[in-house]
Amino acid sequence: MSIVYALIGTLVFAVLGPVIGCLLAGLDRKITARMQGRVGPPLLQPYYDVRKLFGKERVSVNTTESAYVVAALVFALLAGGIFFSGGNLLMCVFVITLSSLFFIVAAYSSCSPYSEIGAHRETLQVMSYEPMIVLMTVVFYQASGSFDVSNLFNISIPIIGCTWLAFFGLLFVLTIKLRKSPFDLSMSHHAHQEIVRGMTTEMSGPTLAKIEIMHWCETVLFLGWIGMFFIWLNPLSLVLAIIVAVLVYFLEIWIDNNFARTKWQVMLGSAWFIALVCGGLNVIVLMFV
Amino acid sequence: MELIGFLIAFPLVIAVLLLFVRSDAARKYLVTIPAVIIGCASIALYVMYGSQGGSYFIFSSSIVDIICVIVSIAIGAVILIYGFKYKRILPIVLGALQLVASLIFDFAIGHKIDVSQGLYVDGLSLLMVLIIGIVGSGICVYALGYMRDFQEHEPDGAPDRRPIFFALMFLFLSAMYVIVLSNNMSWMFAGWEITTLCSFLLIGYTKTEEAINNAFRQINMNLLGGIAFLIALYVCSISFDTLSFKDFLEIGSSRPNIVILPVIALAIAGITKAAQMPFHTWLLGAMVAPTPTSALLHSSTMVKAGVFLLVKLAPIFVVCPIASALVILVGGFTFMFCSFMAISQTNAKRVLAYSTIANLGLITACAGVGTPEAVWAAMLLILFHAIAKSLLFLCVGTAEHHIGSRDIEDMDQLFQRMPKLSRFMMLGIMCMFIAPFGMLIAKWGALVALIDMHQGVLLILLAFGSAATFMFWAKWLGKLAGIAGTRENIEGNVSASEWASIGLMAALIALCCICLPLISIFMVDPYIISSYSNAGVAGGMVSSAFDGTVDADDLWLASIACVFAFIVMFAGLGRTKTKQVGVYLAGVSADNANRVFRDSMSGETMATSRNWYMTEAFNEDRLSWLGTIVCGILEVGFFIVGCVTLGIF
Repeated sequence: MSIVYALIGTLVFAVLGPVIGCLLAGLDRKITARMQGRVGPPLLQPYYDVRKLFGKERVSVNTTESAYVVAALVFALLAGGIFFSGGNLLMCVFVITLSSLFFIVAAYSSCSPYSEIGAHRETLQVMSYEPMIVLMTVVFYQASGSFDVSNLFNISIPIIGCTWLAFFGLLFVLTIKLRKSPFDLSMSHHAHQEIVRGMTTEMSGPTLAKIEIMHWCETVLFLGWIGMFFIWLNPLSLVLAIIVAVLVYFLEIWIDNNFARTKWQVMLGSAWFIALVCGGLNVIVLMFV
Repeated sequence: MELIGFLIAFPLVIAVLLLFVRSDAARKYLVTIPAVIIGCASIALYVMYGSQGGSYFIFSSSIVDIICVIVSIAIGAVILIYGFKYKRILPIVLGALQLVASLIFDFAIGHKIDVSQGLYVDGLSLLMVLIIGIVGSGICVYALGYMRDFQEHEPDGAPDRRPIFFALMFLFLSAMYVIVLSNNMSWMFAGWEITTLCSFLLIGYTKTEEAINNAFRQINMNLLGGIAFLIALYVCSISFDTLSFKDFLEIGSSRPNIVILPVIALAIAGITKAAQMPFHTWLLGAMVAPTPTSALLHSSTMVKAGVFLLVKLAPIFVVCPIASALVILVGGFTFMFCSFMAISQTNAKRVLAYSTIANLGLITACAGVGTPEAVWAAMLLILFHAIAKSLLFLCVGTAEHHIGSRDIEDMDQLFQRMPKLSRFMMLGIMCMFIAPFGMLIAKWGALVALIDMHQGVLLILLAFGSAATFMFWAKWLGKLAGIAGTRENIEGNVSASEWASIGLMAALIALCCICLPLISIFMVDPYIISSYSNAGVAGGMVSSAFDGTVDADDLWLASIACVFAFIVMFAGLGRTKTKQVGVYLAGVSADNANRVFRDSMSGETMATSRNWYMTEAFNEDRLSWLGTIVCGILEVGFFIVGCVTLGIF
């Protein structure tokens, strides 16, 4: 049955994911502006931007780019659907990685020097966060007894109690996954850190709008990963999970505004170190305790 | 049973005939038709026995025994002749040692032991039969077109040694069938040695100095493996008075303490053949050979014989912690180190070679874990790796002949220059490293098996190795995907035989990815149920209701996602009609198609970019040295432990 749930979940997520993600993005811009002493745009500004992008003429540098981007968006929606319908966490991780791959290939396909550099760096970012994400799913399995997210509602205490180490590791790589400074190497939303805008340099109009929507959905999904650590059989734990997710999002915005972009060596080294220490240690401790 | 005989003998007959055929036209028929027949016969064997758990056939023949003795003498003689011809001491010593040891074995011990059930089929050997019969013979067909091109690229007056080449290819197939279908271990050993010799001759095919050196490296390492195999044969026949592989597995899984030495010896034989560290260099060296050889060695034969043996031994590993630890650690470290080393490679064949070794490492580790879940993962890895890797080798070979390079940096915009070929190549690459395609689903199974068996260290090796895998495949994929300006389409004159084989492999990938849940239910699960409910202590590890390591629902979801990805790749790309513009070059473009712009000195500059190889962070020499030391110590150490246990128990 889980396959039916996953597909229905994908349809629901295709509607709700972008809505929530859009509001989060608006909130991000608002809070960021306040941190920088500005008033900032209206909360719905990301929505206005995307609506405007959809109205633009379809222009591209080749005939394949938009197909890759559509695939990336669809797989991001599928990953969200699998997760929020209580499906298999590992499958969700695999599908969201597939989505990143299609996005990377879209950037490569343009043959623009700038988006190629962005694509190289994005590949490196995936390599940096992937070990921690894999170890996170392992820890999840060890702590909850299953890869199924829905299983969380059957356990008597939230898994955070024995997985806080891996949770910290996840927080660290979340900054990479959300493309927040200091780890926004592949494309940055801070104009001062980038000469030309990395991966999306050649993407415009509706294609760029899809990227934006994909980014919203990813944000919602990753915050869902954060929240799942605080779920147990009490339905009220959902409220707790949402509160923690919002706090973590605020933390990410704060980090984003307080650190300048690093070199890739620092990103790779620190992310792998964190994965080894936080992820690896947590896995081994859970194995023998 | 007659069909088994046919599968072994028929390629042999064809090999002999091919030796005498010099004309292209005749060879075309003599390769294509037998290849189809072998493929069909393999499928027929599967249809006949696939539904049964395992069938052992009463068959023993002194004629076959004598043939095996003659084969080992002939192999020893060939190695010695080559050793003397090129003045290499080590092969002469090892070859002579093995020859003497195997003759003593045959005449003093082996002939007294009668194995009544000489031949068998079970789920794993049928899977191998299908891989050998379809993928292996597909590669033989591909070689027709490739070797014609290859001969044309040779300097004038170069001798045409293609008859030997094709004969060796078919001999290889025959020897592989012997390995996977013999229950008599001394027959299996004969097949094992034939594959070693065939790959020696195939690697040295071009007879350049590099080829000869690499061929000798291969034979040195695999002779060591052969000697390890012989040690196992000696112990088996002296201590247990049997050469039946089935009996050996039953003894081993019920009393693991007394088989430690032979299991470790067989494991080392498997590890050398599967090119695990520190023996990985022979497979890297093998890429000097023409591409069909590499494809054959990497996908359906040779290295797969190594992992086949290891997976067969899995029911013993699961109850024998010492042997298991050796195999798991060597496999795990090989997976991680070779994935890291692949990042720094620009040569496409070298990337493929490292990825092969890494994936074999994963299969090895799964076999070492030995639980039913791990074996499920190992079998699917064997299947998907065989198909995807042969597709990739065939694509790289064809691309090399048309763009004149096997360097990934020269594959810029291949999507335009060879649109069909690059799509197939992209398909093969994606199948190798990304979900929802088969390899990753199998890796998922491996992950589950490792968690359940508390293999923490291996999990960490797997996590980091997989991340590196993403890096080196994704950047290659990106290179292929690039589209700029108007590049000429140059794939018009790719030969029909090459397209046929490449198309076959691509179709197999699509079929296997989409039908993955069915493969799990009908091919893999029955083997696991049969092999774990018969054998001694390991029996009872699974109930007859074993239904795969990964939930069937998730497999179907992966299958749906695959369908979507295939549609995007083969129907979606290039269909969108939009206004086309040039890329942004931060200035006035002079020639946008070639990324040339007008620079600040009013001159013209071309924007160029290369992929990242990060040679500082992932230094090949350093990693190779490290892996060699770690795995070498493990192997020597565990072998000594094995010898000691022989004295204790």
